[in-house]
Amino acid sequence: MALRLSERQQAVVFAAILLTAIAGLYATTQLLQPAPVQAQVVGSATLDVRGDGWSIRYAPAVTTNNTAFGILSEASARLGFPLSYAIFQIPQGVFVTAINGSVNGEGGRYWQYWVNGVYGDVAADHEALHDGDVVLWSFSASQDGM
Amino acid sequence: MGRGWRAVVEAGLGDARTRILGVFLIIVAVVGTFLMHSYANIETVFAASLLAGSLLGRWWTILVPLTALAVLQPLEWSTTYVGYRLNAITGITFFVISGYVFVGFLGRRIRPRVLFRVKSVALLTTISVPVTIAYDLWTAFGEWYFITRPFGVGIRTVLEAQVPFTLYHLLSSLIFVPVFGTIFLFLHAYGWPAHTPSATVPDPDRE
Repeated sequence: MALRLSERQQAVVFAAILLTAIAGLYATTQLLQPAPVQAQVVGSATLDVRGDGWSIRYAPAVTTNNTAFGILSEASARLGFPLSYAIFQIPQGVFVTAINGSVNGEGGRYWQYWVNGVYGDVAADHEALHDGDVVLWSFSASQDGM
Repeated sequence: MGRGWRAVVEAGLGDARTRILGVFLIIVAVVGTFLMHSYANIETVFAASLLAGSLLGRWWTILVPLTALAVLQPLEWSTTYVGYRLNAITGITFFVISGYVFVGFLGRRIRPRVLFRVKSVALLTTISVPVTIAYDLWTAFGEWYFITRPFGVGIRTVLEAQVPFTLYHLLSSLIFVPVFGTIFLFLHAYGWPAHTPSATVPDPDRE
């Protein structure tokens, strides 16, 4: 014997299923968000920025901007070269679009980063640095650009 | 000849209510997506395209996604894809537009009886889940082929990176398809609420 629900009952059941699905999906997206990097003092980190015919080196004794993006931003402020980036809320992360006048897309090249020779596979503001890490930002056409 | 074209246009756009709803859907698609631009994959073009195909049909199946994207895509070119080569932008734009037009046609294909019923909204919402995944797979392929492949990034990496974006897109569809589906099904079935004392809304349970 099939249960026949009124239109109102169907609406309540549908709303309950829908809200459960939305809540579950939202919880999953939050679990997948990369954990924010906790600020801590990092010593002897080095930053190399290789642009189109120029390069910048920055090696603070200590820094609390302990991400691949943080040290770049710190260098931009200290050394006075322009830095452009876009901030994404979902998923959270920073996307660098231009450094010192070299803009993504010029000559088919884009800003990419490596930490200790390992290609960055998360947003640069979610890549934590440790003592002695070497960060390279390179304006290159492929992952082989370093 | 002139009358012939006029008849074709009349038939393609439908009656006055259909036309107004079609324009409303375009506005919903453009304004909603523009307002949530910083939230990747939270957008209203998908819901508008699905509803255009399933509720309005006719030319609106294509007109709604194409008109909305004619406004929104240039904004994408000047923000997300700034600096990318023309062929890369053209390629990914093709995948985005064809994806949404496909959503519109699929909406037309599964067209429910246009009744203001929970079943109609539930059907559209349920269908939106696999269609969202199919759309994301399609555009992820385009993203890989035109944007990331030149960097030596494999399709598998792109699809893995796509997962959180698709979850947000599903979230977007599960919110906007039932919300706008309910509103537009109501308007399609009953028109605009009137202030006349005799205006009554039939109770589906009493039918």
